[in-house]
Amino acid sequence: MIRQPQAWAPTLFFPLLLAAVYSSQFSKAVSLPEFPYPDVTFLDFILPACVIQGVLFGSTNSATDLAGDIENAFMDRLLSSPVSRSSILIARLTSAFSYGLVQATILILVFFAFGAELSGGIRSALALILITSFLSMGVGSFLIAIALKTGSQEVVNSLFPVIFVFIFISSAFFPVELMDGWYGQIAEWNPLTWIIDWTRVITIEGFSWKVLLQAFSVIALISLAGIATSIRQLKRRLAMAS
Amino acid sequence: MDNPIEAKGLTRVFGDLVAVNSINLSINEGEVFGFLGPNGAGKSTAVRMLTTLLKPSGGSAKVAGYDVASEASMVRKKIGVALQDAAIDPLMTGNELLKLQAVLHGITRQDAKIRCPELLERVGLTAAGDKRVGTYSGGMRRRLDLALSLVHRPKVLFLDEPTTGLDPTSRVALWEEVRTLNKEIGTTVFLTTQYLEEADQLAQRIAIIDNGQIVREGSPAALKSDVGAPTLRVDVVDSDFEIAKQVMTELGEERPARKGRIAIGLTGGTRAITVVLKALEDQNIEVQHVELDEPSLDDVFADATGRRLEGGGDT
Amino acid sequence: MTSLSSYWSNQWLITAAITKRGLLRMRRLPSLLIPSIIMPIFFVIAFSGSFSSVVQLDGYDTNKAVNWMAAWAILQGSAFSGLGGGGLTATDLENGFFDRLRAAPITPASLIAGLVGYSITRATLPTTAVLIVSFGVLDADMPGGILGFVIAYFTAIAIAAVMSLFVLGIVFKMKTLKSLAVAQVVMFSMMFLSVGQAPLEAIEGWLYHVAKYNPITHVIRMGRQGFLGDVTWAGTQPGLISIALLMAGAGIWARGCYRKVDI
Repeated sequence: MIRQPQAWAPTLFFPLLLAAVYSSQFSKAVSLPEFPYPDVTFLDFILPACVIQGVLFGSTNSATDLAGDIENAFMDRLLSSPVSRSSILIARLTSAFSYGLVQATILILVFFAFGAELSGGIRSALALILITSFLSMGVGSFLIAIALKTGSQEVVNSLFPVIFVFIFISSAFFPVELMDGWYGQIAEWNPLTWIIDWTRVITIEGFSWKVLLQAFSVIALISLAGIATSIRQLKRRLAMAS
Repeated sequence: MDNPIEAKGLTRVFGDLVAVNSINLSINEGEVFGFLGPNGAGKSTAVRMLTTLLKPSGGSAKVAGYDVASEASMVRKKIGVALQDAAIDPLMTGNELLKLQAVLHGITRQDAKIRCPELLERVGLTAAGDKRVGTYSGGMRRRLDLALSLVHRPKVLFLDEPTTGLDPTSRVALWEEVRTLNKEIGTTVFLTTQYLEEADQLAQRIAIIDNGQIVREGSPAALKSDVGAPTLRVDVVDSDFEIAKQVMTELGEERPARKGRIAIGLTGGTRAITVVLKALEDQNIEVQHVELDEPSLDDVFADATGRRLEGGGDT
Repeated sequence: MTSLSSYWSNQWLITAAITKRGLLRMRRLPSLLIPSIIMPIFFVIAFSGSFSSVVQLDGYDTNKAVNWMAAWAILQGSAFSGLGGGGLTATDLENGFFDRLRAAPITPASLIAGLVGYSITRATLPTTAVLIVSFGVLDADMPGGILGFVIAYFTAIAIAAVMSLFVLGIVFKMKTLKSLAVAQVVMFSMMFLSVGQAPLEAIEGWLYHVAKYNPITHVIRMGRQGFLGDVTWAGTQPGLISIALLMAGAGIWARGCYRKVDI
């Protein structure tokens, strides 16, 4: 991972650029009527979303590596060795999780350096880090399923815009309350909006076990669905190999 | 009239590596010149300099009468280049590539309309002309590459490893094409290769390059005869072996041979075989098997560098 | 005289042939093209939707977010199209096709012009797509009339040309497909640090100063004016001057970097 700066550097650079640009472009937006948090800065408002965005962009890496292994037949060698089948999956999920953990921590530290504030202190920071890393694993598990199904790095990479769409049509950069018509409606239905809004409650209003639990229940559902799909695809690939 | 290719002290350095070390070349009009050497010997670097794609670090070269460094665009007008790995856009068709090449060389649309089908036919790609190059076989790509390099009727043709990676049949077909070009149109051909047989078959003169330096130069026959006399090997029945050996070693220096076989270096050309056979006959020795081995280019290479060329088993 | 004019017509034919080759490849490899059309369409929808309320703030001078964001999406799409010529060149450099072009008696200027020609032709596609979605789905206005459309297309092409030259320079220098990632980062940073999404009046802090002196700001204003009101000379002139300066700078940069291809 350290050897491939081109893989992770953009996933740090873009969230920071967006945060920097948006916090000064839309600094006056907090004064709009109906803005849910009129007393915070716009940077504080988008902080959780920028962390989540960076981590989700990074979540493609683990799946891309897996697809690469399948492409260059490293997978076949692995399968012919006495490595247990489930550990292949667990290793990828762990890698997606730890990737998210490291990245979220770095991003939050940078935001602190630029004057961001978390009202719940260290507990809120930890909650934000855990939510993003588990979310990274949950989304990563879907990508891993697709990597297993297609075995193509190109396909996995092409999912990048899909993640982008999910993030954009959510409350990530602007409150859903201020979005018009059908667009706002779709954003309200987007599970990412729920997770981001709950995370915001924790970072802006203060730490709350209840809200953290809510966020984790949605993430758990996403992860379970993703992991179940990956297991099915792994079995299919194993059946194909034998 | 200048020679089509003249190089003096041509040198190219990459960092600490001297890829081409002060080579001199003088290639005659209408000649097929073979540039033979192993991978990484500096062949491609030399060709890239001669075709203006790479600037020399030292020395100078003139191609078709123009300096490769200061008159690059004039050189480009006069030369055809078929590069290693046949750099051809797989998304385009043979026809489209030919037309593009024609425009790049300033050939008018009317001329190109006649010239392109003519060239496709010449290299046997008329039927495949409207198919994408991505669907071509290796041999077809090389033939298209050759056609592309001929669009503007170049005076000098550079072929960089034209048959590397081709199957034997395609290789022989391409050789035939190069021969015809050289004979019919009189194009001067500068050919690099790592195949001994290719140099032997096509080139009137060759230069052997190793570690960036030319270590031998001349016609294949002259180079071979410089290495030494051919080897004559004779098999006789066991009972005659000792006498036969005595007779033969009087006629030439003894060379190592397998058990039951006598080998000598034979000076005096093929006619000398008769002398040896006559001498054996005079002693009433029954000859079971005779063979005469010319020194190969591989022997020339080995003599010059102390190493064998990869794929030397070809000959 | 005849030889001089035939020289120029020849260079022009070479430029046209290189442009044509790019377009031909684009047609045969739609996976190259589709993202560069889909992405700006998504941008205009997403920016207009997410930031539908920001136009209530001072400085936007319009009551619909799409009127502000359409130009932004068009210029993002154009900048992205500007990667076209660079992408083609990077591919050519990696597989050796570029040597074929270089071994031909063509001038660097006609080669570079051909690649720019490819990029700007490409840029008209996302521009048209964004305009169709903006007017067909998002109910955009064009108080500037026909002239507003003309200036929007002109600006789109100009941005594509500038970005194309800039990207070509980077590709000539680095000679790999990976260099496109570097080009993209610089390119989008330049675009983002402007009035693309918000007017100067709404921007605070360091970004205000950066956006104010970013030439892209004037260019975006020029392309956007028809969506907000009449097209005026006062709204066009700073953009034209910026484009001229950017073109000159990027042109010199690309030509300078071309020397790096000859090592």
